[in-house]
Amino acid sequence: MSIVAQVIAQSDDANRFLSNTELDKLQDFFRTGEQRLKVAQILTQNEQKIVEEGSRRFWQVVPNTPSNSGDPKKTALCQRDQSWYLRLISYAVLAGNMKPLEDIGVDGMREMYTSLGVPVGNIGNCMRCLKEVASNMMSSEEAAIAKPYFDYLIRAMY
Amino acid sequence: MQDTITSLINPADQRGKYLETEELEKLRRYFQSGETRVKAASAISNNAANIIRESVANSLLYGDITCPGGNMYPTRRYAACIRDLTLFLRYATYAMLAADPSILDERVLDGLKETYNSLGVPIQPTVQAIQAMKEVTTRLVGAEAGGEIGMYFDHICNGLS
Repeated sequence: MSIVAQVIAQSDDANRFLSNTELDKLQDFFRTGEQRLKVAQILTQNEQKIVEEGSRRFWQVVPNTPSNSGDPKKTALCQRDQSWYLRLISYAVLAGNMKPLEDIGVDGMREMYTSLGVPVGNIGNCMRCLKEVASNMMSSEEAAIAKPYFDYLIRAMY
Repeated sequence: MQDTITSLINPADQRGKYLETEELEKLRRYFQSGETRVKAASAISNNAANIIRESVANSLLYGDITCPGGNMYPTRRYAACIRDLTLFLRYATYAMLAADPSILDERVLDGLKETYNSLGVPIQPTVQAIQAMKEVTTRLVGAEAGGEIGMYFDHICNGLS
């Protein structure tokens, strides 16, 4: 759900037109549209690089983790999830809302990793590394737009 | 409900893909039109009562429908009519902001025609009032945003007819 759909649903529940505060929120969102598109493009075009470099940093910080255990299947699975999370972040940046992240990648995430025997905190550290690598590819304005979405994930993984 | 952004993201997620170039282009056009949409929505919400008053005056007020025997008589039915028109205006404004008609289908039109028929609410004057609302709103918000919200007024009319 996008920020637009969200404020509309909120107004509709209250049987009213959008408030000035809500309209201002949408205005701010639309004004950052061009940068949001840029962020999504950077993530799309550099996914592979971000995942590879992010993994390297992650294994330096947390060497004792399933993806670094020498089992190529575990490494592949971990990196697949990394690229999935980058894709979800690109959606959320375009939607101006955490909702796509929450609905697709956070609800049930802890239970899933626990059942797979992957320490959730490690994944959080991994996301932190992806954030660093991705942010370095962005202008400071673009990185500031992407930041809350990475941080939301990182927080959800502690 | 769906809006332009979700209508692009949801199918992309089903495919496990990032948004493609032409989808991003679509979003770019939507983002660029955002300011116009927000300004129009703001003008409409600040003038909703005037829009309704003027639209009714331009379409129904001076006809037989407001006289004894008409469907906007007595006052209780007049009130029901302007309540519904206000509802149409509000939902058309939502759809314009979202640049997507699905909220109209889901929350306004689903079962509306049947309800009106069973209550004996005549469709043709309703459509006439919505068209009047389209003109009044376009005068208020200008041609660009007016054309945009006009599509959603037409969508309601089509769904009723």
